[in-house]
Amino acid sequence: MDADSDVALDILITNVVCVFRTRCHLNLRKIALEGANVIYKRDVGKVLMKLRKPRITATIWSSGKVICTGATSEEEAKFGARRLARSLQKLGFQVIFTDFKVVNVLAVCNMPFEIRLPEFTKNNRPHASYEPELHPAVCYRIKTLRATLQIFSTGSITVTGPNVKAVASAVEQIYPFVFESRKIL
Amino acid sequence: MAHGSPVLKLYKSIIEDVIEGVRELFTEEGIDEQVLKDLKQLWETKVMQSKATEGFFRHSQHSSQFTLQLPHTSHRVLQTSSVIPAGRGLQHFTAAGLGASQPGATLALPSGMAYPIHVPAGMTLQITSGQLYKVNVPVMVTQGRDANILQLPIQQIFQSVGQPSVLHTNVASVAPVNVPSVQATADVLQTQKTAVQQTVAVQPTATENKHLETSTSTALVQQPTESQQQIAPDAVQNQYAESTEKSQHGSLHTPVFNSESSEVFSPSDFVEANNSSSLLLDVEGQLDTEPQESLQQQVSDDIIEMIMMGKSLDDNTVLKDEDTVAPTDKLEPTEQVESNLQSEKDICSDIKGIIQLDETGDASPKEEMSHTKDTEENEFVDIIESEDLKVLEDEDEGEDEEGDSISNMDSGSSSCDNEEPQIDIVEEDPLNSDDDVSEQDVPDLFDTDNVIVCQYDKIHRSKNKWKFYLKDGVMSFEGKDYVFAKAIGDAEW
Repeated sequence: MDADSDVALDILITNVVCVFRTRCHLNLRKIALEGANVIYKRDVGKVLMKLRKPRITATIWSSGKVICTGATSEEEAKFGARRLARSLQKLGFQVIFTDFKVVNVLAVCNMPFEIRLPEFTKNNRPHASYEPELHPAVCYRIKTLRATLQIFSTGSITVTGPNVKAVASAVEQIYPFVFESRKIL
Repeated sequence: MAHGSPVLKLYKSIIEDVIEGVRELFTEEGIDEQVLKDLKQLWETKVMQSKATEGFFRHSQHSSQFTLQLPHTSHRVLQTSSVIPAGRGLQHFTAAGLGASQPGATLALPSGMAYPIHVPAGMTLQITSGQLYKVNVPVMVTQGRDANILQLPIQQIFQSVGQPSVLHTNVASVAPVNVPSVQATADVLQTQKTAVQQTVAVQPTATENKHLETSTSTALVQQPTESQQQIAPDAVQNQYAESTEKSQHGSLHTPVFNSESSEVFSPSDFVEANNSSSLLLDVEGQLDTEPQESLQQQVSDDIIEMIMMGKSLDDNTVLKDEDTVAPTDKLEPTEQVESNLQSEKDICSDIKGIIQLDETGDASPKEEMSHTKDTEENEFVDIIESEDLKVLEDEDEGEDEEGDSISNMDSGSSSCDNEEPQIDIVEEDPLNSDDDVSEQDVPDLFDTDNVIVCQYDKIHRSKNKWKFYLKDGVMSFEGKDYVFAKAIGDAEW
């Protein structure tokens, strides 16, 4: 069974979210006026800066905290974050690239079979929660990995976890259980 | 073409309004009225020179152009024989384009044009050099040697004293092209000038037929012109002020006009409105020949407002004294022309220098945008924030975790980090070392000078597709200015 879970499943990382600190106060107004490709959300006190190269959108707070989303890999996320910090530095702020951390990784995986959700839920009571009237997918949480999986009846699974490794492990973990409750045509 | 005129009209109206508005303040402050006029002159000049408004204003040192702005009027008979003075700079001959009475049609006539043009009422004539003539009455600009344009009861010709000089150059420029009848340039000029004078005189009186007749007495005319101009609103005065500034090109002509004044007043030399039109033309360097073309303008009943930026009356009088030449004699005028040209060139260059600061200066254009909706972002934000909280909690709880994760990223400093959570410095790779984090700013698309200053109704974005719903704006596009009440745009980032 475990060996089966190492099936060559394509896990597509769709989104990597990371944060970093600039260790200096940022003047949002200045960024908004002088920066390129920025959206100033004055009402919530954020500046969005979009990058093209690694397709990345960064949310910048005046405290110096920056959250970077949209990357497709951890490497790319770091790369983009550094680019961003660099552009902030160019704007004149004494930016120090610190506390870089990948906060969230979103991945998608497709099972080659369909899944019977009610059955799956019953078998995985504590971890799985299923409320079909609210959401068509089963929400399966793996506490140890701090990962959450959303399992759809089509066999498509969405995984979110703190890093890519956790996501991969989560998929591996869930495979056998999902395999049990698969729909056999 | 038609685009420029409404813009220009708008700008003019803005200038007028502002000037009027501050007039009181100025007087309160004790600032001379003259200053205000100078201000207005300068302003208008700059606007003209900036070429931000449609190209009916060519500032060419060598070509005098006669630009007719035709406001929306019903009848317009523009017949222009495309006479293009040889070697005279730009000639825009958009007469053809003015077929329909489009609002603000612009006709740029090359100097020395020899054609009959009927200018309907309310037209504003502009010279490239910036001189403006606003004709409130239909004007018939014709080159009629034989025609006695004055037939029209109403007078047109609004010609500032300075204008004659313009006319002069015009004539000169035209001459080579047309070898028209008017041999007596002076005469023509004279008549023109007088006609102009007449026109000026007309203003206060409102209707004159006789200006032509009185043309002979140039000097006299000048006086009344002056006075008349006084009567005219400040604009006229401003014009004079401006004319003083720009007198250069006018100088030559004035004497010519003056000299000839008393004489010839041959019907062929009838230059009425044409004079004004010629005045409109850029005088520079046109003095080679004195074209004999007489442009006749017939103005209908209304009073013609003269907005002139031309030579001041004083200059004219002075020039009068100089009284240089017979039409054929170009020496003196040439000299003067040269000097004038030079000064004018200087001015032009200065102005150009100033004008080119369009980018940085005039309207401090900037795009105002607001992001109204960002559904996509919101989703992420929600996730982020929840995750953020998580992260924060984690950070609070365990430095180790953070240290571990961080140390994974950065080679080497893990242990230190774990020990001292505060020391994150070690982790940071100084960004300066990020030479690889290239200056990717690939494009500084902001190299474009196309800017829009406006208000927005709605700005919408989906992924990287933007939609703009804008209103009430002015934009500078490829050097030209446009105004709009509503604008909708799509863009992809």
